[in-house]
Amino acid sequence: MENERFARLGKSTMRHLAMEARETLQRLADFPDNPAAMSLFYQFFSALFTGNHSLPEAKPIIGVMCAQAPLELIHAAGATPLRLCSGAYAYEQAGAEFMPAKSCPLVKATVGMLHVNRALWGDALKSVVIPTTCDQKKKSVDFLTDMGFPVYALEMPPAKESDVARFYWQESVKQFALDLGGITGRKITRQSMRAGIGKVQQGSWLFRKLHELRRTDPPLLLGKDAMLVTNGWFLMEHDSWCAAVTQLIAELEQRRKNAMPAGKRLAPRLLLTGSPPVFPNLKVPLLVEQAGAVIVTDEVCSSSRLLYDAVSYDEGTLDEMVGAVADRSLKPCTCPCLTANRDRLRKIMELTEKFAVDGVVYHALAGCLPYEMEQRQVGKALSAAGIPMLYLETDYSPEDLGQLSTRIEAFIESIKARKRRK
Amino acid sequence: MKTYFAGIDIGSTTIKIVLVDADEQQVGDLITPSGSHFRRNTTTAFQALLDRHGIKRQEVEGVVATGYGRKLFREADDVVSEISANAVGARKLGEPHDSVRTIINIGGQDLKVIALDENGNVINFVMNDKCAAGTGRFLEMTARNLEMEVDELGFCHALATGAPLTINSTCTVFAESEIISLLAHGHGKAEVVAGIHYSIARRVGRLAKRLGIHGAVFFDGGPALNSGLVEALEDELMQPLLVPEAPQITTAFGAALLAMDFCRAAGE
Repeated sequence: MENERFARLGKSTMRHLAMEARETLQRLADFPDNPAAMSLFYQFFSALFTGNHSLPEAKPIIGVMCAQAPLELIHAAGATPLRLCSGAYAYEQAGAEFMPAKSCPLVKATVGMLHVNRALWGDALKSVVIPTTCDQKKKSVDFLTDMGFPVYALEMPPAKESDVARFYWQESVKQFALDLGGITGRKITRQSMRAGIGKVQQGSWLFRKLHELRRTDPPLLLGKDAMLVTNGWFLMEHDSWCAAVTQLIAELEQRRKNAMPAGKRLAPRLLLTGSPPVFPNLKVPLLVEQAGAVIVTDEVCSSSRLLYDAVSYDEGTLDEMVGAVADRSLKPCTCPCLTANRDRLRKIMELTEKFAVDGVVYHALAGCLPYEMEQRQVGKALSAAGIPMLYLETDYSPEDLGQLSTRIEAFIESIKARKRRK
Repeated sequence: MKTYFAGIDIGSTTIKIVLVDADEQQVGDLITPSGSHFRRNTTTAFQALLDRHGIKRQEVEGVVATGYGRKLFREADDVVSEISANAVGARKLGEPHDSVRTIINIGGQDLKVIALDENGNVINFVMNDKCAAGTGRFLEMTARNLEMEVDELGFCHALATGAPLTINSTCTVFAESEIISLLAHGHGKAEVVAGIHYSIARRVGRLAKRLGIHGAVFFDGGPALNSGLVEALEDELMQPLLVPEAPQITTAFGAALLAMDFCRAAGE
């Protein structure tokens, strides 16, 4: 009885997953002059979500449930990292039975995804690493353990500026490095650590090039595509991601020479901040760009925050490198789960200036209280700088598309009117 | 040849069309139910309005569509969101009285508050996100429950002698059962109607407080025809409202003015 129900849940979830993935891909492709290299990403996501949602070939796999888990260590331990944060409405529905109705759709979807795929993924996922960031991720530690997953709670301090917080995180990460060796059976050495850092740095270097290409006026890449590229970083196999991004960068460089920008010359330039959009939930970036604006940069943990920051070390002892990786993931973190988060305001203001931003879209996933709560202070800081902000609270359901598009269009029209007056 | 501009507001309940001439004067307007074939009904209605005033289609230089169904009417030269169109229309209509800084609009399926700066530009707005609670559709449903027409609600409100009754929910479905139970307890229809108006007004008041109310407040959309609702809102917001003579067509009027703007900008 229970088995039959579970089988049906799996079947219907996968069907809905394929439907929503197909629809999102259709909407992503439905823009004029998409870069040809983007099709590598469209194809990857299509294959992953419309077939069996299978895990990467390269084993062992370490799943991570947050951007705070340092991927360098996972590579160094000879494993493939896989970000588990899910953007699928179908999975959110499957996860609803474990979590309160008003909780975060991303955590709900991740729990649902693991629940539905537990038979398929059980052996391959050597660990599910959950950094103890927001309350909802912390609480999922117990649900997922009960489901039979090998959960690793990576303890993170609730602040980042004090010495004690830095020490706490360094110790957590060092312990994690030791434990990873046990999990994968391959101890992290000085050499493998250096190689692990090198791998992530290669990704970060490519990302920074892309970041610069979005800064041009008019920008060379739409935000909806940039989001898909960074989403690809946490799902695709390392070398194929690097190859695809290299190809995309070459094409965009060529487009720059041929004066072929993405988006219209006078299109408002927007920054996206707040909760992370993860495929297939590219609802907000798609609506914004369908309405004629361009997202030139973002401050979200599924995109720019993921790849921008570099690890720096001098002598290269193992201990120093692990510490440097810990610093890389704590110091620049601007997640609202941190107690004092003024650094986020600083980062947003810096990006608005650097990218000549006309307005900010603040995306809060309904149920993500920390992002909802920081909305006011961000809005206040932006308004003092004369930058308008649109606050959108939404979830994975397609129900509010009509209302959202009206609000987004009105916001973009008011920015255009403002630009005309200037 | 005279030139005209048209604004077409395709709402969830009704289609509103306004024609203006080159001096921004309203030449004619038409309101018709949206029905299920938005595009066909819009085309027919537009032609009917032109015929009524003896205007040829070629004399209409620009057409701007707005409202919920704006993207379905492909014959339009441009589309604009109802928030921008509403702001332009309300600002223009409010001119003779006072400069409008806040607009409250209640439509068939949504409810919004728009804040304007001193020059009439939209600076912020809030609207209900998901459901039609407390909107025109809600008023229609409650009128049906009370076995009266929606345009009788205002009159009925005025008949209330006792205090308005408490209606806790502005959700159409839940309010229905509240209304039925109030009637079953022997309460009068007029007090129920007043209660409904105050419950909507409170909801609008909450929304408006999120933006802050400045300057003159303009109230439009079909439900602004309801004098009972106007009174309840004025009480709730503790200030008088500017209600235009034809509150249903301000957004279409704004779209027509924008059509003129766009044509002039393109001509320059």
